[in-house]
Amino acid sequence: MMARLLPTLAVWAVLAMLPLLLGEWELAMFGQLLIYGIVAISLAFIWGQGGLVSFGQALFFGAGAYAMSLTAKGMLPGIPASPWLGLLFAIAAGAIFGALVGGALFFGKGLRTAYFGIITIAAAVIAERVTTNWRFIGGFNGLLDVPPLPLPGGLDSADPLAGYLLVLGFALLAFLFLLAVERSPYGTVLRGIRCDERRIMSLGFFVPIWKVVALALSGGVAGLAGGLFATQFNFVSPAVIGLALSTEILIWAAVGGKGVLMAAFIGAIVVKYMEGYLSETIGNYWLLVTGIAFIVVVVLFPQGLLGRLFKLPTPYRLRGD
Amino acid sequence: MLEIKGLRSGYARGADILKGIDLNVTAGERVAIMGRNGMGKTLLAKTIMGLVKPSAGDIRLEGAPIGAMPAHKISNLGVAYVPQGREIFGDFTILENLRMGVIGKPKLGLEGLEKIYDWFPILRERQSQRAGTMSGGQMQQLAIARALIGRPKLLLLDEPSEGIQPNIVHEIAEKLSAISATEGLTVIVIEQNFEMVEILAERVAFLENGLITGESPTSRLVAEPELITQNMGL
Amino acid sequence: MTLFGLALDAMNYTSVLLLVCIGLVVIFGLMQVINLAHGEFFLLGAYTVLVAQGVGIPFWLAVPMAFVAVAIVGLLCDAVILRFIYDRPVDTILATWGLSLAIRQAIVIVFGAQSQQVAAPLTTPVELFGVSYSSYRLVVMLIAVLVALAVFLVLYRTSIGLAARAAMANRQMAQCLGINMRRLDRSTFSVGAGLAGLSGAVMAPLMSVDPQMGMGFVLPAFLSILVGGVGSPVGAIWGSVVIGGSTTLVSAWWTPVIAQIVVFLLAIVTIRFLPSGLSGLRKR
Repeated sequence: MMARLLPTLAVWAVLAMLPLLLGEWELAMFGQLLIYGIVAISLAFIWGQGGLVSFGQALFFGAGAYAMSLTAKGMLPGIPASPWLGLLFAIAAGAIFGALVGGALFFGKGLRTAYFGIITIAAAVIAERVTTNWRFIGGFNGLLDVPPLPLPGGLDSADPLAGYLLVLGFALLAFLFLLAVERSPYGTVLRGIRCDERRIMSLGFFVPIWKVVALALSGGVAGLAGGLFATQFNFVSPAVIGLALSTEILIWAAVGGKGVLMAAFIGAIVVKYMEGYLSETIGNYWLLVTGIAFIVVVVLFPQGLLGRLFKLPTPYRLRGD
Repeated sequence: MLEIKGLRSGYARGADILKGIDLNVTAGERVAIMGRNGMGKTLLAKTIMGLVKPSAGDIRLEGAPIGAMPAHKISNLGVAYVPQGREIFGDFTILENLRMGVIGKPKLGLEGLEKIYDWFPILRERQSQRAGTMSGGQMQQLAIARALIGRPKLLLLDEPSEGIQPNIVHEIAEKLSAISATEGLTVIVIEQNFEMVEILAERVAFLENGLITGESPTSRLVAEPELITQNMGL
Repeated sequence: MTLFGLALDAMNYTSVLLLVCIGLVVIFGLMQVINLAHGEFFLLGAYTVLVAQGVGIPFWLAVPMAFVAVAIVGLLCDAVILRFIYDRPVDTILATWGLSLAIRQAIVIVFGAQSQQVAAPLTTPVELFGVSYSSYRLVVMLIAVLVALAVFLVLYRTSIGLAARAAMANRQMAQCLGINMRRLDRSTFSVGAGLAGLSGAVMAPLMSVDPQMGMGFVLPAFLSILVGGVGSPVGAIWGSVVIGGSTTLVSAWWTPVIAQIVVFLLAIVTIRFLPSGLSGLRKR
């Protein structure tokens, strides 16, 4: 039983010890990788548990990043320029966008997976075009000089160690939150919906609401990641909301393993880390390789490469014995 | 002409519902398979037809193993399937539905159409109407006609009496046994309704818990109806 | 731009959109797969013409070549990837997504990311009811309408078409009636890809040819099939008319960005109230 928990615990232990092993520059880079990890688990949650493949997860991420930047830079009339308030708004923006997309789609009669895919693709493409053309939020150049999160003791998240630990804390929080949802009775219903929506409906659950809430939760976590991105990278641009990033997120979750949060988390970190090294040496071939790798994983390893490793034991509630 | 030995099959891997079916049907014979709901009758039909792959055992049609074949090949070897719920193409006309019966068979055209229309005159009357507008009994006749126009050797019917008025059930059963007799057609009919079985089948096999638990000539069941309830575990 | 010229533009766009949609709809109807690589098949069609022109092959020969070349690519995709996952529709969507990424990137590697020009075979404008209009656009419209018509004739007037429509309505029953679904799937996917390639080829002189053009063109096509009804070939006509028409008009009156938003909302509202699209209206 404990053995099944070990890989997951080991990951957190290693991540917590990284500051002892790495220099400042690498630590900052790992902090950024963790942010991608957070958005990957937001997709793994909605995909693995709810069976909803979002091809536009960057929409929620980008909504969070823009909400963060606008608030932190004091560009919203009547709202104080506060990074922490911005992070709160980032989560809210992601959740609201998630609820909006869900509400627009799931209350209709009989929506198919394919529709959801197309609509999320279209939403991401359009969001990117709108942000590119909207002067108020910076247009093509985006918003620069997004301030870091102030921390007690005169520090702020621009400090490599403090920034890393802060992001790590949020990653752990997001992970535990989604894990708790996944293992709660709500998660069980969600998996039921994934398997047989009609049967769950006939058991008396109003499925659309459940799906909208799931998408809002996923959007909220993605928004959190977006907010952290804006503050740690100090800028946002239309690239954070578009199809290219959405596709990357999808690939991370699929390669790691959509059914297991930690697998998707590590998938994001590993793929993005490799990209950092390999895209310099093999350049344009990197995207070609990831595209092909993605196809191979989809065809041959539908559970991802790491799903088995990080699969946690079934909750006591659901065990037969 | 159809030999089934030790057939195991299920909808999900590791969950066999049929647990070793043995059944022999000789050419021209008309056999009914009776059993309660959920005993695997439809699964047996689907497995014979190639829609579900057997997990073990052997199915032979005129000596040729067909267990691993896809449905379209089995169809081309002369097995025709009238599924539960009839599954006619509601948006197509009746004639188009009949054309579907020969479309996968390169050697056949619509030359058998007149014979089919003589057997089922209602289809001639309504040939250019949309099939979805017909009554249940008419749809059943169309489904059977669509199967017959492909000149099968073996006709596989799943619950043909379901949702049809008793007098039409009689009519269809009598027509089918006459066609079987004149054409030498082998028939396997899956039924719960003994009225259909009584007219159509010469022999009944009972399916329970995934096994053939008993067989009996129909005439004996007519004489001793309590055997039916016993064999079906009621 | 006069109203008449605008109407011609709308018809031109709609007709090519239709050509792209037919392939999508038939592939979806048969296999329940939204082919997310359809845009890249369009892209490959355009680049086939680019290459053919580069080596001196005349444009009108390059267009059918594009159809054949992309149809072969479709066949290859089926043989190498799709046939292993036909029974897993969601994974098929994902695999075509990966395919689209890989094809687009392969084009970037071979031809570079920059946009290129394909010369139109006809350059002199014609006078139509007092409006001067690009003669090449008229020819494109004609080709698109004729090809779409041919596809519909095959679908509704031949045995293969009957078999395909039967398989779309009830795949399992079609199989039980002796139709080889693998062969039908494979040829449909290939022809659908070829049609996308053909569309890309005829549109190449009218667009800037770059690796992103496919996604840009096919996104409205995706929305069109949602509006028209995903599994319905006739619905593809309605969908393309609605999406093609509204995109052209709104772009002309406001901006292309607003047009994209309007069309997107239109699609959402449609599937919200008509889950089977406009073709669902008839059956109600």
